[in-house]
Amino acid sequence: MSQKTLQTKPRPADDLEVIDAEIAVSEDKDLQGSTIYHPTSTSYILLPLIFLAVTFLGGLRFAEADNAFLFIKPALICLVFASVILVLYIRAHLIDIGGWFSHSSTGVQNAANAAILLTLFTASVQLFNSLIPEQGLPMWVVGFCFIWTLWNNLFSEFDTKRLLKSLAALFGMAFVVKYLVLANLTAPTGDGWLQRIFNNPGREAFTWLLDLPRYSAATGYAQFFTLALYLIGLYLTPRSLTK
Amino acid sequence: MKPAYSHILCIAITAVGLALITFLYWSRPRTFAEVGTKAQVAAGIYEIDKAAFASGLDAFHREDYEGARIAFNRADPERHDASTQYYIAYSYYRQGWGRLSNDDKLFAPGLEAVNRVIALDPNFRSNDPDLKMQAPSELKTELEEGLKITPSDFNPLKLTRERK
Repeated sequence: MSQKTLQTKPRPADDLEVIDAEIAVSEDKDLQGSTIYHPTSTSYILLPLIFLAVTFLGGLRFAEADNAFLFIKPALICLVFASVILVLYIRAHLIDIGGWFSHSSTGVQNAANAAILLTLFTASVQLFNSLIPEQGLPMWVVGFCFIWTLWNNLFSEFDTKRLLKSLAALFGMAFVVKYLVLANLTAPTGDGWLQRIFNNPGREAFTWLLDLPRYSAATGYAQFFTLALYLIGLYLTPRSLTK
Repeated sequence: MKPAYSHILCIAITAVGLALITFLYWSRPRTFAEVGTKAQVAAGIYEIDKAAFASGLDAFHREDYEGARIAFNRADPERHDASTQYYIAYSYYRQGWGRLSNDDKLFAPGLEAVNRVIALDPNFRSNDPDLKMQAPSELKTELEEGLKITPSDFNPLKLTRERK
């Protein structure tokens, strides 16, 4: 009904049908009896779940020997980067603070909006935890690149689209560096250090020089989904929730 | 769903989710099985596996100290029971003790285990008559002395000492 209405030229009678369609969307069931998801339900249930999943997965690594879980707590710099990125989201109008918190909204709604922003913050912290190498020279190099880019972005004139493109490129590059380049330079764990040097002299040298941690291949797959989930969550985040 | 319900659900999901994630990052379980035992410890309902403990005790009295430690570790995977940890420490002491010299590689983890006992229960005392040292402080002193090299180590009268 509504599709046909939307395709035809507007007439007074069609306007009425459009209004009917809007009323139908606000109901819980459509004509076939299946549940219709409201935009608000998507925002209030799906977004926290996505961002909590990113928060959980961002610090998760798998041990090389037995694929055991390793939970890496975020460094302080990750909290700083996450705070900067939230400021960027607000400056680029990805999030309109006035549209998230309002005197006209109920206290519960404002609290729920704050909860979504809190999960966005924790997810951002864990995303940086995921993308910045844990230790050694790579941590300083990648960390410096993040500082440089975020600091420049902070004082640039941005629109939402350009910011998202810039961040996707930044995060994508950091992922490639950590989970493709550095992971392939890391030597596998062997029986003894002498045997490891004979088997993989180049990789063993890089592992020692760059102080690279040894994780199982599953870590890269898990972190790929973490990054993808974060970007999906960001895409689904509405500019405003109260207007 | 009414908007108010979705708001409340959102707050609940966030609170529960963040609490769960904080717990996981704090307790750092290495496997799915460890998640359960660590949750039991946090909830205060953790109990050791009594059958594995009895098996460890049996091995300990048969002087199969390695077998005893395997069973004790199975009984108390979270290292949260003072009695089990005391037996683990004692097994390291007995296995590492020597009339001429002690095995530092066994005394060092024994010292770690006895420190865990003191941290878990500072007033712990064993009631096993087979153990000549019933307080963790005595065992700790013995393990620490065994790890040090002192002039008394070269005293020939040491050859007459007995394992406790």
